[in-house]
Amino acid sequence: MAVSPLVAPPSSLTSPLKRQPSQQTSSNGTPNFGTAPLSAAKAILGHPQETSTSSSTPPSLTLDPIEQMNELEKRKYVKGRKLGEGTYANVYLGHSRSDPSALVAIKKIKVQAQYNDGLAPDAVRELKHLQELRGHPNIIQLYSVFSSKDQNLNLVLEYLPLGDLEMLIKDVDRVRYGAGDIKAWMGMLTRAVWFCHENYVLHRDIKPNNLLIAADGEVKLADFGLARGFSDPGWRMTATVITRWYRPPELLFGARHYSGAVDIWSVGMVFAELIIRTAYLPGNTEVEQIALICKQIGTPTEDNWPGVTQLTQYTVPSEITPVWGKEAYMGRFGAVGSEGVDLLVKTLALDPKKRITAREMLEHKWWRTEPKPTRKEDLPRKSGGGGEEKMGADLKRRNGVLEEDRGSKVARKLDFGAMK
Amino acid sequence: MATEDARYRDSSQYRLWSFSPTQLGALREKTNAAARARISERLLSHPLPTTTTSTSSKDLSTPTSNANTPDPDGNSTPALPEFLTPPEELTLVGYYTSEILRASEALHYADEIKATAAMFLKRFYITNSIMTYPPAEMFFVALFFACKVDTGHVNLSEYTKIFNKSPEEILAGEFLLCQGLRFAFDVKHPYRALRGAMMELASFPDMQSDLKRLDAAEARARKILQFSPLMTDAYFHYTPSQIMLAALSLADRGLAERLIQETFHFVQMEGNSADTPGGGNNGGGGGGGGGERGNKNYRANEEKAKVIGSQIRDKVLGTIEACRDMLNRELPERKEHWTNKPFIKTQITPLRKKLLKCKDPERWNLVELQRVRREQAARKMDSDDEDDASGGRRVKKEEDGDIFGGDLGHSAKKRKVTMKKEEDLFGGPMLVKEDPFGGAKVKKEEDSFGGFGGVL
Repeated sequence: MAVSPLVAPPSSLTSPLKRQPSQQTSSNGTPNFGTAPLSAAKAILGHPQETSTSSSTPPSLTLDPIEQMNELEKRKYVKGRKLGEGTYANVYLGHSRSDPSALVAIKKIKVQAQYNDGLAPDAVRELKHLQELRGHPNIIQLYSVFSSKDQNLNLVLEYLPLGDLEMLIKDVDRVRYGAGDIKAWMGMLTRAVWFCHENYVLHRDIKPNNLLIAADGEVKLADFGLARGFSDPGWRMTATVITRWYRPPELLFGARHYSGAVDIWSVGMVFAELIIRTAYLPGNTEVEQIALICKQIGTPTEDNWPGVTQLTQYTVPSEITPVWGKEAYMGRFGAVGSEGVDLLVKTLALDPKKRITAREMLEHKWWRTEPKPTRKEDLPRKSGGGGEEKMGADLKRRNGVLEEDRGSKVARKLDFGAMK
Repeated sequence: MATEDARYRDSSQYRLWSFSPTQLGALREKTNAAARARISERLLSHPLPTTTTSTSSKDLSTPTSNANTPDPDGNSTPALPEFLTPPEELTLVGYYTSEILRASEALHYADEIKATAAMFLKRFYITNSIMTYPPAEMFFVALFFACKVDTGHVNLSEYTKIFNKSPEEILAGEFLLCQGLRFAFDVKHPYRALRGAMMELASFPDMQSDLKRLDAAEARARKILQFSPLMTDAYFHYTPSQIMLAALSLADRGLAERLIQETFHFVQMEGNSADTPGGGNNGGGGGGGGGERGNKNYRANEEKAKVIGSQIRDKVLGTIEACRDMLNRELPERKEHWTNKPFIKTQITPLRKKLLKCKDPERWNLVELQRVRREQAARKMDSDDEDDASGGRRVKKEEDGDIFGGDLGHSAKKRKVTMKKEEDLFGGPMLVKEDPFGGAKVKKEEDSFGGFGGVL
């Protein structure tokens, strides 16, 4: 199919992965609001005389140009009913004031009681990266930002009413899907991750419920609250990122220098989960997570991963499991065919240096073998609604740093034999 | 074709914070004019009492300023202060930018953080006048927020200890800064580009014998990048790679030109099948054009000429030259200039004194401003969520409330607080607190950062 949404012509540098005209007018009807044009600021700055200094509200502060701009931005949207409420943020349905059919999600970041150092770092990170990752069809779009009242940040985000991948994976009874559908979803996910990495951004929390679905079936990577830019060599990063089931071995071993390979492992885990419709390696603790990886994928050793034993948290069960070959996966994951399994295995390379990159993933043969990826309009969707609420729940959530994980680091040298 | 260029045009640095010199000048002038107008208005409508407690109710009954008519009561005869001109504002912003660099150097912050902090301050004061918000305060805020943005977190209490500030004072300006930055926190710097350029130069066979020259050039260029582009408007007019090449050119013109020649080599090389240098994107104008295969046909060649041909090379060279001229005005040696006593005494101190006389009475005290904001917000809090939905109606209700009185008392109270604040600001001890880098006393200027090195 000529318009396969999946495969990027590998060698072209004009990046069809980005800004495809067809995707600009996405069928969910959301227009491209763009940013507040600078001309708006200039227009305001051109009229310093304030019309709003009327004497009606003497105690109120009059508005500075930049504040007027904020008011203008805010007035572009109408906030509707609440879709989700959390400690970190509330999410509302909203629409453009000029076009009520253009729906948006408005994520209102709460001033956090337990965080005393000002604006929450999650919000800062999310804003920082979403501002720079505009225009890709598989990344949630940030249309606008404005502040309301008590300096609450409001992020005007793309409206994604069909829930998330987790919802589809879990609803085994009512949602049926096949290899072509998985290929379509994986294609969209891989392109999103490719775009992040191409822009030197690590997402660091890829998992099914951060993959939201637009009205036209397009999958969108969301929640950049844990994202960060690629660091300079030698600059340490935290190892406590990525929700545990999707966390790669290097982070479990405490690596402080890492690359886009951490996201690729998560992509592999999502791939596996899409196939078997349950989390592939659902460890209850970090120790258990490592044990599961060793058992299901293979024990990281100096042989298969030179240098691994130097990582500060490196501990593995004493019984060494050799790394499983592709054939071992065929039984359980064969639904995506031999090429699909080949791709899966490459995302799950223990050594991050040997793990496939997002770009290499896009160049893999699997996308070009039968069956073709399903067109996004024809992808299975969950009947009976609930998608909006799911979006609300997903967007309001805090990200995957788990407090309990930090404590468990201390108790890492546990006896692996004690657990089954 | 040149995706790297296209991607740069999608960045907030390009979308929101790149201007032509004319545009930028006009923006600054507008900001200055707008601030004058607003401050005049505010000063006239809320005149500073020359005597002690003037009847605040009387002030209130005065209709909002008729700008040129003096208060009939004559109790304040508000002669408007002399305002800072746009060039004067620019000088002071430059001064505080140099202070940010000095402080972050003493704290051994990474280059990126220093530069981000400096650019935050500069960006903020494009659409905000320093007469409106105190640069001596926003300085700390910008540095704090740059740490937060670049490292993901920062320990506020540690930070406040270093600068002898209260958490309140830092946080009061944080949101303000974010708004002034238009909620775009990413600043793209030329440091990695420099490293890449040096690696590429080192890969040229004939350079192998000249590695010392490369080291010296890199060190000098880095030094320039740590200062010159931040003290000028280079970030507003040029891309990171152009800035890098300009700095390299100042350090060693031959190396920069070599790099540009190698990148935009298309016409020079006969059989154009040679690889585009891998680091071609350092060429600023539009390198990175490798990968085109089977380019025997005419169109591909033409396309290549457009991207890495001599015409674009000359254009790039011209741009680099202009950027070089700009950087040349603030070479690292000028660091001393910005801390030079006579300079401070004759240029900066008078401007600061002038600033204190024409500052915005309503905005200057950030902590107080923040308090008023919260108070206002709290009044609306109970209906927080609904009022967004019903828009205009809610606003009307607020106005009704005002008409029925309650607010009079409130505003009178607020007025008092404001007055107290004003008095403090002109008092001696406040000055030092307001401005730990010296206030009016020149003596403090020199050693204000002396202690920081040891703290970290």
